[in-house]
Amino acid sequence: MSKPTNLVLLIDDEPKIRRFLRAGFELHGGFTVLEAEDAAEGLRAATFNAPDLIILDLALPDRRGTEVLDLIRSWSNVPIIVLSVEANEEEKVRLLEAGADDYVVKPFGIAELIARSQAALRRYFKSPNENPVVVAGPLSIDLVNRTVLLNNNQIKLTRKQYRLLHVLATHVGLVVTHDQLLEEIWSGSVRKNIQYLRILVRDLRQIIEPDPNHPRLLITESGVGYRLQSRLEDVTLG
Amino acid sequence: MPLGDERSSLQSQFLAVRKFATASATAAENGIDDIPLPSNKPALQRFILESALPMATSLLLVGVATIGLLLTDRLFPANLVPIVYLIPVIIAATRWGTWPAVVAAITATTAADFFFFPPFYSFRLDDPQAAIDLLLFLLVALVSGDLASRLRRETETLRQREQEFHDLHEFSRRLAACFTVSDLIGAIQSYLSGAFGRHTAFFITASDKTFRPDPAGDIPAGVQDGAASMMRKAGLDASTIRDEATGNLWLLRAVSSEESTYGVIAVNIGSDSQALIDQRTHRIEAMLAEASLTLQRLNIGGAVEQAGLRLKDQLLSDAFHGNLSHELRSPVAAIRGSASVLQSMPEIRNEDQAHLLVEGITDEVERLDSFIGNLLNATRVSASGIRPHLECADPRDIVNAAIRQRSRQLAAHDVKTEFADDLPMINVDSALVEEACGQLLENAAKYSPPGSTISVTTRAERGQVIVSISDSGAGITAEERQQLGRRSFRGERYQATVPGSGLGFWIASTFIKANDGSIDIASEGEGCGTTASITLPAAVIEDEWLGSNDE
Repeated sequence: MSKPTNLVLLIDDEPKIRRFLRAGFELHGGFTVLEAEDAAEGLRAATFNAPDLIILDLALPDRRGTEVLDLIRSWSNVPIIVLSVEANEEEKVRLLEAGADDYVVKPFGIAELIARSQAALRRYFKSPNENPVVVAGPLSIDLVNRTVLLNNNQIKLTRKQYRLLHVLATHVGLVVTHDQLLEEIWSGSVRKNIQYLRILVRDLRQIIEPDPNHPRLLITESGVGYRLQSRLEDVTLG
Repeated sequence: MPLGDERSSLQSQFLAVRKFATASATAAENGIDDIPLPSNKPALQRFILESALPMATSLLLVGVATIGLLLTDRLFPANLVPIVYLIPVIIAATRWGTWPAVVAAITATTAADFFFFPPFYSFRLDDPQAAIDLLLFLLVALVSGDLASRLRRETETLRQREQEFHDLHEFSRRLAACFTVSDLIGAIQSYLSGAFGRHTAFFITASDKTFRPDPAGDIPAGVQDGAASMMRKAGLDASTIRDEATGNLWLLRAVSSEESTYGVIAVNIGSDSQALIDQRTHRIEAMLAEASLTLQRLNIGGAVEQAGLRLKDQLLSDAFHGNLSHELRSPVAAIRGSASVLQSMPEIRNEDQAHLLVEGITDEVERLDSFIGNLLNATRVSASGIRPHLECADPRDIVNAAIRQRSRQLAAHDVKTEFADDLPMINVDSALVEEACGQLLENAAKYSPPGSTISVTTRAERGQVIVSISDSGAGITAEERQQLGRRSFRGERYQATVPGSGLGFWIASTFIKANDGSIDIASEGEGCGTTASITLPAAVIEDEWLGSNDE
């Protein structure tokens, strides 16, 4: 699990945004906050202070956020969560492919960002000899023995269904792009088609979701990919 | 020989065989191709160019044929003579039309009689057989001349038709791309001058019925005044004005539908003799009627409105795509984020009043954000057009996401969803369809009482996926229904009458259209609720790998 206090670096040029992010991270405990107001300062802090987590705004005055992402990724695997105002799917996919762990679209509530941050940290600090069981709501996935329990009853999955669940479980709480899933599940297969994935997901939902028509575990990130929630998502149907 | 009868019998033959061809040939005769261009050349010069020269050349050709025949008289048998004489007749017919061909045929018959039928060098004919031969030759020459010239006209008409279709297509494309009203006037003007080949102008009626002067400014003041007065007076749809300065006559005609006058077309018909003017006026009147029909069909009124809307949107979108979007959303993000932190603080959580206040901030700021989102969507639609990014998607995901995204607006309603078991995938831009669904859901919530049910059913039908959103609210009256058809076209005006940003339905229908789908609105009447149905084509799934997931 994560260290007692994590150092989070906020790179955002808006002081008001930094202020509530700082308050949020400090309030939810376990975080020490470091702020940077532009890319240069952010890169310096990322180099010298070795943060455990970076929250990176894409619209910075001196440099494009994507460049900052690339630069940090060239030497570090530190979890990076990107903040952006543009809710453009291609942009999101590009950021994830460039190495961002997840993204949050402005405006957002602090709970959403903290949840993503914790998921990213969990994944980052997970040691190989730790308990290999991932729990996602009523599901528990044993990554070593390749068994899946649903409400403590073992369920049977096809190889590809298991593979999908496995990849999502290793990123539990984080989004995984279509391409990444296709690559992992149909590795070696020349033809990649998102239709494969859609149907595989539909089949898996029939097995693991309490109500397959209203998924609360295996969530679609429209145009981007899928996310396995670490607990049953609250469905707000008015 | 009775030429008229000959021609009419021929015509009836043509009528019987090729109705269309004859019709177009007649159209050509009626003058689309022979309206003289406006010119200041004297009538005599024009007469020489257009009539005398072809006649003279035809005669010359017959002369050449005669000389050729005389020189080779001894080499060829005499019965070759008529065939050689047919050559100038056919040439005259294909190049200059019927009359030169007739002249050539008669001259050739006379020349043959004079030079090649005994007694030579005399018009007299001793042998009755020779007379019959000559008459037969004349008949054949006239018929083939007429056929050849008809063929020529037909080809020309077809070419012209093709050009007209091309122009019209080009025109409608230009209309659809017009950003400003002056662009639109430009498009109509260039279409009209293409069609009439003479000086034309189109004056557009502004929405406030005021007159916009011609932007190019080369239309005489008197004509502009005439057009302006035509716009003011309803019911006056044609008039003629003489420009005192140049003596040119201008024909004015209003383009209008039952409801409104879209504009006035003015055509300069020149300053020739009264007979010519009358003839030309007659032709142009017919073409004007056709042109104004075309303009009506292409809905100039709608295009004007759309162009205005596009211009507004263009300005808005420039502003947005510059910094405004960032500038608007950053403070919203700070407020929303700060409120969320406040909400999670123990001091606030345990204090009911403070908690409610913070919740209020969150709700309102989310509403503000969705409003900004709507404006952004609207500018996206109209500025660059939408380029959907098509991808195979599960309709369930889209509907669920739309409901989740609008959960705040739907909070007071009971939303029931139902999905058919056999739903196919759809090939769409999920984000666009989700937004369209969201807009329709929002409308359903807006027009039905709190606490009532909104049901969302998704089913498959004949290769299509249909998402129906039904409410039990205000419904749609018969009059509103009639307007509905226009609404999608001029969504702006309709939306102005309902509370909210007024862009919702327009955005929804544009987004769905961009995905090759359609929206259908149905209602049993006032107070009986409304059902909005989105129809989208199902994705074609290749069977070969369907089983591959189950290995």
